[in-house]
This record gives sequence, structure tokens and C-alpha cells, in this order.
Amino acid sequence: MATILVVDDEFGIGELLEALLQDDGHRVLTAMNGRHALERMAEARPDLVISDLMMPVMDGAALLKAIRESSDLRDIPFAMMCALPENVIGDRIAGYDAFLRKPFKLAAISALVQELLGRRAE
Amino acid sequence: MTVTSGPGEPGPLTSAPLASTLPERLYSGIGGLDTLLCGGFVRNGIYIIHGAPGAGKTILSNQICYAHAAAGGHALYVTLLSEQHDRLLANLAQLAFFDQSRIAREIHYVSAFQLLERDGLAGLLTLLRREIMAHAAGILVLDGLVAAEAYATTELELKKFIHELQMLASAADCTIFLLTSAGHMDEASEQRPEHTMVDGMIALRETTYGWRMERDIQIRKFRGSDHLPGRHAMQITSAGIMVWPRTEALPAASPAENTQGGAPRLATGIVGLDQMLGGGLPAGSSTVVLGPTGAGKTSLALHFLARSTPAEPGLMVSFYEPPDHLLARASVFAPDLGPHVADGVIGFAWHGQAEGLIDRIAFELLADVRRRGVRRVVIDGLLGFEGLALPAERLPRFFIALTGQLRAMGVTTLCTLEIQQVPGTTHRAPVDSLTPIAENLILLRHVERAGRLERNVSVMKLRGSAFDSTLRAFEIGPGGIVLVTAFGAMDNFRQRSPSDTTGG
Repeated sequence: MATILVVDDEFGIGELLEALLQDDGHRVLTAMNGRHALERMAEARPDLVISDLMMPVMDGAALLKAIRESSDLRDIPFAMMCALPENVIGDRIAGYDAFLRKPFKLAAISALVQELLGRRAE
Repeated sequence: MTVTSGPGEPGPLTSAPLASTLPERLYSGIGGLDTLLCGGFVRNGIYIIHGAPGAGKTILSNQICYAHAAAGGHALYVTLLSEQHDRLLANLAQLAFFDQSRIAREIHYVSAFQLLERDGLAGLLTLLRREIMAHAAGILVLDGLVAAEAYATTELELKKFIHELQMLASAADCTIFLLTSAGHMDEASEQRPEHTMVDGMIALRETTYGWRMERDIQIRKFRGSDHLPGRHAMQITSAGIMVWPRTEALPAASPAENTQGGAPRLATGIVGLDQMLGGGLPAGSSTVVLGPTGAGKTSLALHFLARSTPAEPGLMVSFYEPPDHLLARASVFAPDLGPHVADGVIGFAWHGQAEGLIDRIAFELLADVRRRGVRRVVIDGLLGFEGLALPAERLPRFFIALTGQLRAMGVTTLCTLEIQQVPGTTHRAPVDSLTPIAENLILLRHVERAGRLERNVSVMKLRGSAFDSTLRAFEIGPGGIVLVTAFGAMDNFRQRSPSDTTGG
């Protein structure tokens, strides 16, 4: 079982991912924006972060930057979610481990999570 | 994923979208419905199907599921009311699309009534997500939305439930149908929270006209795509649901090149008449042959039909005489007619029943024209539509739409129309004005001459072309219609209708 932090301001996405990942046996933390996510990570270090890009207060790009600049958190795999295609944001934002185009397909989530957690284990 | 049309039903009249930027579609498997939806449901949308008990919601949604399964997909049917599945399946077993072998393989029936009672909407949502994922369902039907609404303690809770369903639809690649019979589908109900949030609403209705009942279907809302608005005829048959788009609502076909004046001519097959017409009827035009009963309208129409060839196939829609009678009548002057019917050059569409749907007749006619490349169409006679049209006030616009579609496809149409009296005295027609549907008018009448009634023909109008307006007598004999005499001025004889018994 791994601890996964899901960050999204849109109602329903976090709930859906939480339910799916819990069914897969993971512990799921949720946050509504980047700042909220950092607060959650101060309480419990997740094994994986799945975050939306466009959020108020602190967006996914700022959250990713903060994580990569933190000596304690920089090794955590990070999956970025966005409604825009990856080639639109890829030039501006670097450092994520996987990209999820919204609306994402549930069928792909479990496999992606396993892959990212596997990378961490290596 | 593509689905062929249901049994006995022509395919959709609109093409599936080609551009990759257009939304992906989920074909209903019901050709007429996919025409209304301009190609099918938008995939991963969430739709309400509304109708009173018996309106056909369960049949429609199951038919969509079985079409999806036939195309290789999976469907999940969740009942929220206490209806027993064995009764539901027993009813479906009467319908041609039902396939028992697909149950628990591609189509899964689940009852969630007790779970909803115990765990509420949150529990229902978890069940739906798990079952969709477990069966890789591309379609979810939630039968009994009213039960889910009852478990929402606030409007916000219901909105959250619908919103989470939308998320699920996108994330699970699943198109969702919510069935409900609650209230009426009207402008007021469309402000209900679930109605404002969903991607589309389909209303099924029954309307009684005197002793007759007609079903119709209406797309009340359809996000992300164009659709054919208004009410459209629907039938529930042993094949399942059939939808017949309202002819007036069909997208206008691209108009054929307007070459009326210089258009090639299609011979009627009556030598003298073709001379009066300058060689025949202009290709792609519509003609009305007017005349009282017994004047020779159907015989003239059969002459025109008999000139069909493999390169110029023909179709006759008839309301009063069945095809075998018509063939027998024409066999003496058109011996090729029978073989042409046998080899598919000429088709007959016989609508002798007292009840029927004008839109079904039109839809099937247009589909046959497309399928066989028909170039000569005969409608014998226009009044046959009058008894079927509900409501009757639709008829003028219906005729305009139908002849417009045929004209745009380059079809030369000849319609017969019975009138009680000859023009110039009094007459009645089923439309206020024939102008929009009759580019050409041919009048047949009886006149009294030398103590006997004779048949006469005259060309009253040939749009954009010169024509011979001479009144010509004709006979119908073993060789069919033969023109025999040209009259001079109208005052050389006395015209009267067969019912006119006054002396003089």
C-alpha cells in the first residue's frame, strides 16, 4: 500500500481518484491547491503526487517547483493533470514524471500509478 | 465503433462526422434517431430519457445497449426501482433486437434498489464506478432516476451526484442514460437541476388524435452537436423502436444545378404529350397531374414510370392501387415493366393501409432514392398523404419539403392529384397553393363532345420552358394513352365535369 496525494480544485476529480485508488488498496490524501498540498505533505510524506496544473492560490507548476526544490520531497514522483495537451505546456513546465490529459481514463490510472511507484522503488 | 441500422429500417440520412475535431459519437443503432442526433450521441455524454410509463424508455435504452454490444461494446443496465429483472427480460424477449446470449457477457443487469436504500447516493456512485470498470462498460443506463432524486436531501446533493456522474462518464469512457418518468418535460422542468446539468434530454410522448394514438420523440437539449429540433414520429414494433425524422426538419439537400430551361428531358412515353412538353419533363423537376377520377392520371403516371431504365431507375409510391393491379394494367402497353420490377430497375412502395406515418413513407422513399439512384419517382396520388397526416396542417410544408429533397437529388417527380372539378370552376387541392411543389402542371379532364365524354389533356405550366398549350383529346386503349385530336379554341366545345348534368 502506498500513500498518494491527489491535488485538484475541481469537485469530483479528487473524489473519483480517491475512490479508485482506495479500491486499489492505497491510502489517499486530497488537497484543493498547491499550498494546501504542501501543508498535507508536511503532515505525511506521500509516495506519489497526482496534481492538476491550473488551480487557484498555488498552481501545479508552482507546487512541482516547490517539491523539486525541497531536499525532503524532491524524489517523490509527480504526475501532472491538465485539460490542455502536453505539447502546449511541456515547453514551459519541466520536472514531472508523467502527464495525464483531462478527461483522463480511469482504466489508465491504476497502471500509471503502479509504474510511478515502481520507479520510486528502483 | 459503428453500428448498422436496426432491422427493417434504413440507415441514417446524415453522414457520420469525418473531421477529427468533431466529437466522437455513440451510434444508437436506430437509424432515424442517429439522423435526429446528426450522427449519434456525443460519446461520454450524460443524457436524460424522459417519458410517461409505457412511452418506450426501457425499450429505447435497451435497444441502444444491444446495438452497442452487437458492435463489440459492453453495457451496464442498473435498475433503481423494484422492478424484477425476470419480468423486464421477458418483455424484452418479444423484441427482435433482444439477444439472450449477450446477458451477463456483454450486457449486465444490476439492481441497486436495496443498496440505494442502505447507502444512499454515495453508495450508488461507488457501485456504478466499480461495475463500469469491472465490465469495461461503454454504456450505463440508470433506470429510475426518480428514486435517486428521492435520496437527495438537498438540491445541491442531487447536483453533486449528477456532477460526479459526469466525471465518471468522462473518466470511464462511458455514455450514461438516465431514465425518468417524473413530471412533464416542458420549459419549467428544464430548469430542474439535473436537467440543466446533463448533456442532453430526450422526451418520448404519446398524443391522441381522435381514435388514433401517435408516438413521437423530441431532442429537447443536445450539447456539443447540432440536431433536428421539434417532434418526430416514433413507432414501437416487434423490431424495437423506429424513428422517422419529420420531413420538414431534414437538412436541405444540396440543390441540383438549376437547369430547368435547358435541362435534359425525361420522356413521359406518350408521344404527343412529349411533343407538347418540348421533348418531355425537364430532368429534376416536379410535376403535378391534376384530374378528376377516371381521367387517366394513373395511366399517364405508369407511362412515365415504364420509361425507367437501369441508368434511370424508377419508383412508384401508391396509395389506392396495389402493385399487382398496377402491373396488370400497365402490362398491355408497357411489357418491360414486369421484368424491370423483377430486376430492381423499378420499385413499388404500396401504402394501402388506413393508418400510417407520412414521415415513414417519405423517409423510406428518400432512402430508396439514395440506395438505388432512382431518377423517376411517381406518387399516385398526393391525397393519400392527406388521410395519414397528423396533424393535418403539416401537409403543405411536408409536400414542399419532400419535393424539395427529391428535386435537390436530381429526381424527376410526377405526382397525381385528384380534383373534384376542373380549374376555372371550383376545385380543391390538399395544399393551399400548388406552386411550390408543382413546377409543371398537366391537367386531365372529361369534356362532353358530340354526346359523349372524352378525355382531354393540356399542359398548364412548364416552369422556365415554352410548351404547347393546345388542348388534346386522348384515348386509353391497348397501347395505353394515345393522343388523337388537337382542339382549336376553347369555345369550340362545352366543358363540363362528369357530375354536371345541366343541359346545353
